[in-house]
Amino acid sequence: MTGGVSFAKDVTLTYVYWGSPNEKIAIENALADFETAHPGIRVRPMYLSADFVGIEFSAKMKALAQANVLPDLGYFREEDVGDWYAAGRILDLARYVERDGMDKDYLPQVWMRLDDKIVGSYTAAECQVLFYNKDVLREAGVPEPPTDYRNAWTWDEFVAYAREIVRDRNGRKPGEPGFDPNRIVRYGIGMDLWWAMLFPPLWSNGGDLVSRDGTEFLLDKPESIEVIQKIADLIHVHHVMPYADPSSAAAAAMPAPAIMLANGQLGFFITGQWELLDLAKMDFSLGVGALPIWKKPAQMYISGASVIFQSTPHPEEAWELHKWMMTPEKTLDLYTSGLWMPTKVSWYTNPTDLSKWIDNPVHPKGYKEAVVDSMEIARVVYSAAVKNFARIWGEAIAPELDKVWLGKATAEEAVKAARERVTQLDLLQGAWW
Amino acid sequence: METRPEITKKHKKMHLSRYRNRWGWLLISPAVSGLTLWVALPLLVSLVASLCDWDMVGPPQYIGLNNYKMMFTVDPSFWQAVGVTAYYTFAGVPVQIIVAFVTALLLNTNVRGIRFFRTLYYLPSILPIAVNSVLWLWLFNPHFGLLNIILEWFGFPPQRWVFGSETVIPSFILMSLWSVGSTVIIFLAGLQGIPRELLEAVEIDGGSGWHRFRHIILPLMTPIIFYTVVIGFITGVQTFTQPFMMTGGGPANASLFYVLHLYRQAFQFSHMGYACAMAWFLFVVTMIISGVIFKSSSLWVFYEGEVKK
Repeated sequence: MTGGVSFAKDVTLTYVYWGSPNEKIAIENALADFETAHPGIRVRPMYLSADFVGIEFSAKMKALAQANVLPDLGYFREEDVGDWYAAGRILDLARYVERDGMDKDYLPQVWMRLDDKIVGSYTAAECQVLFYNKDVLREAGVPEPPTDYRNAWTWDEFVAYAREIVRDRNGRKPGEPGFDPNRIVRYGIGMDLWWAMLFPPLWSNGGDLVSRDGTEFLLDKPESIEVIQKIADLIHVHHVMPYADPSSAAAAAMPAPAIMLANGQLGFFITGQWELLDLAKMDFSLGVGALPIWKKPAQMYISGASVIFQSTPHPEEAWELHKWMMTPEKTLDLYTSGLWMPTKVSWYTNPTDLSKWIDNPVHPKGYKEAVVDSMEIARVVYSAAVKNFARIWGEAIAPELDKVWLGKATAEEAVKAARERVTQLDLLQGAWW
Repeated sequence: METRPEITKKHKKMHLSRYRNRWGWLLISPAVSGLTLWVALPLLVSLVASLCDWDMVGPPQYIGLNNYKMMFTVDPSFWQAVGVTAYYTFAGVPVQIIVAFVTALLLNTNVRGIRFFRTLYYLPSILPIAVNSVLWLWLFNPHFGLLNIILEWFGFPPQRWVFGSETVIPSFILMSLWSVGSTVIIFLAGLQGIPRELLEAVEIDGGSGWHRFRHIILPLMTPIIFYTVVIGFITGVQTFTQPFMMTGGGPANASLFYVLHLYRQAFQFSHMGYACAMAWFLFVVTMIISGVIFKSSSLWVFYEGEVKK
């Protein structure tokens, strides 16, 4: 196991992490197993309760950094990795990864590479998924969506089917005389509208928020504008989508769409893979389909990061624990429950490994083709790489996009205003990698 | 022989005063050191930090008054945040005070079960704001929130509440009315302190209930109204938890309260220096407006026994 590396005796490592109560238990168990397998190394879990936007986690870590009492390793906000590496707070993992031949065993997206350095790894793998309620689709006479991500519905087909699902209080559909958009009892589509959720549709249409090198604003490209406008049209033109969460309110994370889906008030729900954890626990017939295609299939890779802090006096032991936590077997519950997807290649390609995490009632039929296979084309979101990304989104883009979702501005007006804000605040400062 | 007792006495006195002094210092030391360590020092640090560019990961860099310049001339969200906060405070505080006052008047009557009602109206204010926020997020839910269901009964169209850019601040004000309980208690205490003989005097002179309210109750309550205005104003400009928990400042920055903007600058966008500058500006503005309210008090606050010229 240790590959000839010897560890010091009586070492205590502090492992920082966040997560739901379930995740907390799974991590605690994995850390305890590590202690059993490594006598002489003790691990002190440092649990910081989950907050969706991660500001509180960030605040706590900054306070620890200022007091020079950072933990040894653990979870980290991916958008802070660049800053923290530049400030000399994060350990370069390149030589450990190379020495232990880790490269080929893991998905290429996993390593956060900065030039020839590796400043961290993504903790898990996540992507966007099209969930649906089978009973709602059957009742509305809509076929179940294809599961092959390469041959999915086009966006327009998807919208046409969604319109079939919508009913107002009197049972009328959009477009029928007397249809009352203020009294809709069943919607076609629910979609989260925060930044990550916009990447797959934008990329599928050849658009983007900014360039990957952080030097260009791309949301005002015609391809991007088309996507934003057509998503807004779901709310205001087709009346297939409830106006739920504005882009800027990801913090609120109103659970409306998930509950509406389970209640039969919603047909389709486009959201993060991790929602499977909650959706699978609700009592309804959950289906999974391939994401609708604009011009070409697209998928994103997103996750929180795991890093080792430069200040650790025990880098060798910390790396051993880091590796341990990257091994899916050690925290199997997090994968079988629907929260995470693994980062190891064989868990996508080897049928034995694959069955360890998707052969269970949580993962619906078609999950392999629609979700697992789509990771072949998943591009890593660049929230960690592009400098100022949190501000580009939070201060410039999100407030303007809210106006589009509210029906108070067209996509074209909003992206123009967003560009002005980006310029005014001088936010395009390139990328860390 | 004769002088000795005096010397001893003097010695004793000095000894005693030194002894007392020492004990005095010792006894106030927890409060003084706490104030120095946790209030005075951080205040000083934040003043220095407001002149620096500081991401809290690396060391701070001195940049003079640039943060203040950024605040007033560059940051478009700054004035938005000032506007949102002013709207909420100046519209919300009067409504909160009127509602609390009327509630207190009603709870000051002698009906059966009044203790029950007093408890009932006070209860919501003991809930932490964070809990209130989650609760109201459900009440405000546009699709299955209770408020829209009630509107529906009366035939009104559904509202977006905190999820609409025009309705978000009025919604927050509505929500704040639910927890005016502590203000109600203060008013209630004030109402019960009004001397009965004054009220009876009005009755003997043939005055109506309105006269009692206008000429006795209201003037005698002005010191308490004054107090609640000051406290309400200071609480209002510091509103944070509700937008932080419920809207994230949205939609379209319509609920980007000043302190939320400050907090995001400090901890999400790593601009601790800028956030400190914002905090100092807020401090100065709060001081000035509180000063104005205090100055104005001589015009409308009536203290018992005071003789108006």
